[in-house]
Amino acid sequence: MLDAFSRQAISADSSGSFIGEGQLSSLRAFISEGNKRLDAVNAITSNASCVVSDAIAGICCENTGLTSPNGGVYTNRKMAACLRDGEIILRYVSYALLAGDASVLQDRCLNGLKETYSALGVPAGSAGRAVAIMKASACAHITNTNNFTGPKRKMSVTQGDCNSLSSEAASYFDMVISSIS
Amino acid sequence: MKSVLTTVIGSADSGSRFPSSSDLESVQGSLQRAAARLEAAEKISKNYDAIAQRAVDAVYTQYPNGATGRQPRQCATEGKEKCKRDFVTYLRLINYSLVVGGTGPLDELAINGQREVYKALSIDPGTYIAGFTAMRNDGCAPRDLSAQALTEYNSALDYVINSLA
Repeated sequence: MLDAFSRQAISADSSGSFIGEGQLSSLRAFISEGNKRLDAVNAITSNASCVVSDAIAGICCENTGLTSPNGGVYTNRKMAACLRDGEIILRYVSYALLAGDASVLQDRCLNGLKETYSALGVPAGSAGRAVAIMKASACAHITNTNNFTGPKRKMSVTQGDCNSLSSEAASYFDMVISSIS
Repeated sequence: MKSVLTTVIGSADSGSRFPSSSDLESVQGSLQRAAARLEAAEKISKNYDAIAQRAVDAVYTQYPNGATGRQPRQCATEGKEKCKRDFVTYLRLINYSLVVGGTGPLDELAINGQREVYKALSIDPGTYIAGFTAMRNDGCAPRDLSAQALTEYNSALDYVINSLA
């Protein structure tokens, strides 16, 4: 497992060079934006169950066939497994966002996930759609712009520009979608 | 590779829980100290050649016949070059460890197996210790780097010295 710092160490070691000014300035940016990153991770983890259950409810509403006999989440057992998997994926995305590097998501979550899902007969399109809903919801929580639906669930944090963190999180969700579809 | 971030994530993952607020606190503590570490790493990346040369000079002052103690004088140049190469490698890994904020790069890329290698090559680890001790005495705050950065640099050197002792 790597983070933004050890990623630089690995890439410098492959050429036997020191970590110099160029790489250090990107790490300094990582440090100076560190509190934003921690707030972003907190925004995801504090709203995790809401994000996950909204996403799974969303795919069931969009495709009513899922909950009817022979559907992807027919029976509570499958629905529970689906909710659990949504939470696992969101958890690994939150790890990747904290580390600033996708290696933990790739190595511990996505590696072999597509094969597992096809062996278990999980509908890839619906799974991908659920991740896409989680992406929209998590990004809204990160930028604190989630005031469109229901009770306004906003975090009381210092306001700032979190667009780069939001797009970083979006890239991890996209990684999940492309690896399972 | 071991660092504060990966340790926190690893333990959260083994409990299959989201990063808790105490996890985020410990990450924040590490980020606050990171500026000094990066300063030390930057200074090493700029001055590694001079640092290593001074360490080699210190080694050959203390061990005039080289690392093996049985080197004929005419081989001294080659021995000195290899000695400097090794110090540059150690400095590079110290540079990585300071950036990562943990001893992972040093452990994985140098310390694991070093004792066996030096034994097989009949190199006295004491020669390296002489060089690292010289480096440790060389660093000066605020002439070379800030006091906090010097502390981080010295503790990395101490870690290497202890691994050789």
